[in-house]
Amino acid sequence: MYLGMSAPASGDVDFARDVRPILAGHCYKCHGPDAEQRQANLRLDARESAIAEADSGELPIVPGKPDESELVRRILSDDESEQMPPPDANLILSPAQKEILKQWIAEGAVYQPHWAFVAPQAAALPDVADVSWPRNPIDRFVLSKLESENLQRSPEADRYHLIRRLSLDLIGLLPTAEEIDAFVADERPGAYERLVDRLLASPHYGERWARRWLDLARYADTNGYEKDRPRSIWPYRDWVIDAVNSDMPFDQFTIEQLAGDMLPSATLAQHIATGFHRNTMINEEGGIDPLEFRFHAMTDRVNTTATTWLGLTMGCAQCHTHKYDPIQQREYYQVMAFLNNADEPEMEAPSLMQIALRRNLQAEVVSRQNRMFQRYFVDQPVASNETPWAARSRPFQKWLREEQQRAVDWTILRPVTAKSDLPRLEILNDDSILASGDQTKRDEYRLTFAGDFSGVTAIRLEALPHESLPRNGPGRAYYEGPKGDFFLSEVFLKSDAEHRIEIASATETYAKLGIGSGGSSAALALDGNFHTGWSVNEGEGQPHTAVFNLRQPLATAQKLQLTLIFERHYPAGLGRFRIAVTRDTREITASKVPVDVEASLLSPFGKLTAAQQRRVKTYYVSIAPELDNERKAIEKLHKSLPEIPRTLVMQERPLDFPRPTYFHKRGEFLQPTETVDPDVPAFLHSFPTDRPRNRLEFARWLVNSENPLTARVIINRHWAAFFGRGIVGTLDDFGTQGDLPTHPELLDWLALEFIKQGWSTKSMHRLIVTSATYRQSSRVTPQLIEADPENRLLARGPRFRMEAELVRDAVLCASGLLSDKIGGPSVFPPQPATVTTEDAFGKLQWKVSEGEDRYRRGLYTFMKRTTPYAMLSMFDGPSGEACVAKREVSNSPLQALTLLNDAVFLETAQRLGAWAATQSGPPQLVLDDLFRRCLTRPPDTVERDALLAFYTRQQTRFAKRQDAALALAGDGKKSNAAERAAWTSVSRAILNLDEMITKN
Amino acid sequence: MTDVANNNCDVTRRHFFGDCGVGVGKIALASLLTGATPRSSDARQQPSGDLTPCDPHFTPQAKAVIHLFMAGAPSQLDLFDYKPKLAEYEGKSIPPEVIGGQRYAFIRPDAAALGPQYQFAKHGQSGIELSEILPHLGHVVDDICLIKSVHTDQFNHAPAQIFWNSGFPRPGRPSLGSWLAYGLGAETTDLPAFVVLSTGSGISGGAANWSSGFLPTVYSGVRFRNQGDPILNVTSPEGVDSQLQRETLDLIGDLNRRRLNVEGDPEIATRIASYEMAFRLQSSAPELMDLTSETTATLEMYGADPEKPSFARACLLARRMIERGVRCVTIYHSGWDAHTNVAGNLKNNCGKTDQASAALVSDLKQRGMLDETLVIWGGEFGRTPMVESNPALGRKLGRDHHPQAFSMWMAGGGMKGGYSYGATDELGFHITEKPVHIHDLQATILHTLGLDHERLTFTHQGRQYRLTDVHGHVVHDLLA
Repeated sequence: MYLGMSAPASGDVDFARDVRPILAGHCYKCHGPDAEQRQANLRLDARESAIAEADSGELPIVPGKPDESELVRRILSDDESEQMPPPDANLILSPAQKEILKQWIAEGAVYQPHWAFVAPQAAALPDVADVSWPRNPIDRFVLSKLESENLQRSPEADRYHLIRRLSLDLIGLLPTAEEIDAFVADERPGAYERLVDRLLASPHYGERWARRWLDLARYADTNGYEKDRPRSIWPYRDWVIDAVNSDMPFDQFTIEQLAGDMLPSATLAQHIATGFHRNTMINEEGGIDPLEFRFHAMTDRVNTTATTWLGLTMGCAQCHTHKYDPIQQREYYQVMAFLNNADEPEMEAPSLMQIALRRNLQAEVVSRQNRMFQRYFVDQPVASNETPWAARSRPFQKWLREEQQRAVDWTILRPVTAKSDLPRLEILNDDSILASGDQTKRDEYRLTFAGDFSGVTAIRLEALPHESLPRNGPGRAYYEGPKGDFFLSEVFLKSDAEHRIEIASATETYAKLGIGSGGSSAALALDGNFHTGWSVNEGEGQPHTAVFNLRQPLATAQKLQLTLIFERHYPAGLGRFRIAVTRDTREITASKVPVDVEASLLSPFGKLTAAQQRRVKTYYVSIAPELDNERKAIEKLHKSLPEIPRTLVMQERPLDFPRPTYFHKRGEFLQPTETVDPDVPAFLHSFPTDRPRNRLEFARWLVNSENPLTARVIINRHWAAFFGRGIVGTLDDFGTQGDLPTHPELLDWLALEFIKQGWSTKSMHRLIVTSATYRQSSRVTPQLIEADPENRLLARGPRFRMEAELVRDAVLCASGLLSDKIGGPSVFPPQPATVTTEDAFGKLQWKVSEGEDRYRRGLYTFMKRTTPYAMLSMFDGPSGEACVAKREVSNSPLQALTLLNDAVFLETAQRLGAWAATQSGPPQLVLDDLFRRCLTRPPDTVERDALLAFYTRQQTRFAKRQDAALALAGDGKKSNAAERAAWTSVSRAILNLDEMITKN
Repeated sequence: MTDVANNNCDVTRRHFFGDCGVGVGKIALASLLTGATPRSSDARQQPSGDLTPCDPHFTPQAKAVIHLFMAGAPSQLDLFDYKPKLAEYEGKSIPPEVIGGQRYAFIRPDAAALGPQYQFAKHGQSGIELSEILPHLGHVVDDICLIKSVHTDQFNHAPAQIFWNSGFPRPGRPSLGSWLAYGLGAETTDLPAFVVLSTGSGISGGAANWSSGFLPTVYSGVRFRNQGDPILNVTSPEGVDSQLQRETLDLIGDLNRRRLNVEGDPEIATRIASYEMAFRLQSSAPELMDLTSETTATLEMYGADPEKPSFARACLLARRMIERGVRCVTIYHSGWDAHTNVAGNLKNNCGKTDQASAALVSDLKQRGMLDETLVIWGGEFGRTPMVESNPALGRKLGRDHHPQAFSMWMAGGGMKGGYSYGATDELGFHITEKPVHIHDLQATILHTLGLDHERLTFTHQGRQYRLTDVHGHVVHDLLA
């Protein structure tokens, strides 16, 4: 049997299978694609170079003549100064490898392109001797290989194993007793296929398969690094579940996640989908350069895209040209350029129900406000005992008089130019300025205004909310500081003569400092100290105003230059703001009266239009002290509006504000050199010339049917999910250093079939699970383990430990505790508080969820990157810090301790124990039911006897140990404690069996 | 019951001994039970990991490591690297040509200098200069190797801590302890090979600091906690006495063995072994944590209260772990991040750590364990010669992060004692002599344990990875 380990017979040397792995592993580092590292100007990955004269004048390879080939002489040399690879490289060629190279040269030194870089080929289905076995084409490929290796396939697994295997694979849950009975008893043809169809249609299918995708997406509920604070991106997780459940074609699934925002009239769901690349980490340490960690997020996006879709280790090309695969360093940054032109805002992601609820509640608020308005301002009393309006209106009249006297005549200015060190400043129709794009820890906004400013006495700065800003603004702080806050450090004003205009004083409508102890006020933006300034913590989402009084009214001035500086240990620029000036000669203080109301107050009330009058009155109603109580009721209603979840998305930049992408020398952030344009690696199918080079077209390029990699890479990962091992073992590396496929024709057939089936994942899952290959028994015979220990050739069915989430789900499922609720914010199942308080910086208090949320499926567990949920990481769950194509399957004593003693698992055993204790039948029948709930199959006699004996013994012991019985039985009730404790012990033992957490 | 066990005993033994072909790697833990022969060093890379002892590349000096990780970064200028010149500069900016293009976390480069906050004096025969705030360390100064010329690439806590541990500034690569467990295996099957403890505030880099990265998970650091179970879930649930736990494990073992007989999958044998080891952990962990066998003199030397979690208790536990065969113990003491009041910060943290750190060295020495145990003391970077002061953040008389020159000390494990290495300029800003990069330290640490940092590799995504990436030189001058 050939498993790629022994030396091939004469005439059999295959470049791809036998030679390239040797050359790549031992030679390419210095004689490969990387021109910078290349020695002696020799590359052995390209035949024309390998057979040409080297710098030394020698011929490295003379096809057909190993004895004349310098390469052969050097690999056989004992002279350390000549020997290749050089001894200090620690790359030792075995005698067999040397022999292969010699033989390959003797046979003509034929090169072949790397298999995975050539498009899949449709092969005829191979002939097999045992024609009765295959159920679909998959089996033809598998059986043909088994027959050629003289391996005996395994018989079909029994119905118990089949339904358990299928349920775990397709929906990640155990079958119920009724489902088991129905399937085992269903003797009609097509019973298995009906089961498959039922499971594929289950809404839990989406949960099961979303989780695998989330590994690649590095989904988590916190930002990572030191602070590791929570983020809200679970709407993206729910999008994946929905997309999988609806069997969204994989090409569309790809395009929406990479570029949903760029699709014509993108839907809310398509925006949410772009969360895929917002799962990168955010470092919130005060000392960081946000642009540096943005660069790290970008490299993560490139590497993750390459791993997920192309199965390429592109990350190697960040610092230098890839040593083994034909990826130039420049191409790395060209791929980055496709992905690097988006801004990264949050957006609201309401459900349809929330939208409706919010709409209704808002209508109710408006109607109550109208009623309040009507009642207050009706001219005639409705009832005879009410005070006449003339008397009642006194407070309003008084307020009106006062505010009219106080009102300032402001002129809103539209800037001629609005520039900054980095952010984009866009002038909106209402003359306000909206900031977007990247930020630094010292952003400087420079506005110029033209006009006649003579006599100007004060300047007003309105800080305004906007939906594009974190928590609606008005600031842009998005990490470390309070989200949506800003920090205005200093304000400078100059006239056209370039002379500094002195500002004498400043006031503001609201000020509060989020971090630190220096206070906050607009006046602090005048003190010449960049460390102090104005911010509006806890006033996020609201407008705020500051007024700056000039020392003297301006003399003649045609031009004003206003500079705003935002310096903090986090980016804290203003998000939206507007500037106005006045010639009012009084000392002006900032007013809470809205700008439009204040404008109306400048004219006699009677001269106002009806609409203006109403606006003034409406505002009054909103502040009138005599209406406090009525307003409270409305505010309460307002507060009951459902909180709309927010999620992180990508938003392509406007055409006039592209973000340049640079080549980075040695991959270092601090060494950008020239800018690069978007392009794809030259060795892959070319980018269409008639399409714009942007993220959307890049996504389409990835799923173009010409792509030799994507369909293979994706289907190979699905295959591995079912069989425990991919057709290509290295799920994340289809490059020259990766494993060769065990069944290359099958892989190609599956890849082509995937495309043919319209990229339908469910169709491919159906195909795989209905194969005879999949339905085999997983029993391991000594012969099989001898011949094929890793089951590469699939002479038996899959058997391996479940993934972390499935371990939790299966145990909860068996006990009946599992919640079937789908989606929503992540939850906090029980775990010791010390996991998040002792291990990580933020000391997150793990407040255990109550009710149903205590028992949700594993994928809904709150994922904290620096301290993942202990049970899940114990079973090799990911941390969300990097893209994971293949989880490890470890087997450790700590897992045993978890299943034996962890509170969650104890509770499941208690639940089963309580259930068993209330069953009326004889213990043997109760045990059988209990056993089947956990392991699907009935126990055999030895198992039954052992468990019953254990039960009886514990029952006797617990009868004498009432306190222990009460403690173990849980729930605090006294009745039946010994019985419940005994059954809890039995359940605990069953839940700890290897088979319980194994798919077999 | 016993029948089930006996009937299947042979099958299990056969699997343990690896008759089944796949055995050796896959049932690594199982083979531990049988006292199997060491792995050969070229067979390190196994898909599921393997903790059987493995020969080092060459004869090691050290067998185990205790790393006292001073997280948050202590001020070398007030503890180890005395710069009287700084006092002269106090209130003045450091010349811009000294500062160059260095980026800082919080301060502006023109911030004024801040003089040493404590007096220094020479100690021991070696005459090494130490701050008055480290009186206990002064007593063991002739056993330590002080390196004043360490530098790192990172100037923020999480990246710098992860970089120190894994040679890479972001999560995803194996930590030092994981590489040691991978490279050398475990000396005990009753305790984990790599243990992590912590005192003080939370750890910036989080679990990435002791992650096995792309190495198999069995090499991950195992947390010993201050509150509740030292190892999560090591205590049986209430109502489960040791007899029930033993009977339960026997039952599980018997039924698993029966399944092994039927299914033939060697993974079941590994599971059986895991449960046996779990049971042993249930007694070895409490035994380890029980300090009643320690003398009053020992407890006093460390300043440890047996009942109260503290850095001192953690140091004592570390010694007990090493005695019991643990390969690597890391104790995180967080809290050194003195952006304000560096003097007060040092007083507080030295008060918590100085005595126990020195006691650990003395205790190991008097027990004859110091030669084979490498003790490492230090933070993820240093602190600036310049003052940090920012009224808006309520900060004064602090020091910011300083990656380009800081101090650490090591003791035992083949390091020179009473030895001071490297130097910085008169303001403590730059290294002037014998720079030691974090990758050099890592190479040197591996070297003391008999591992060649260039040969200790693991193939992942088509590339051979190592702790020192493509850098690092063993600093032979430090070795005795």
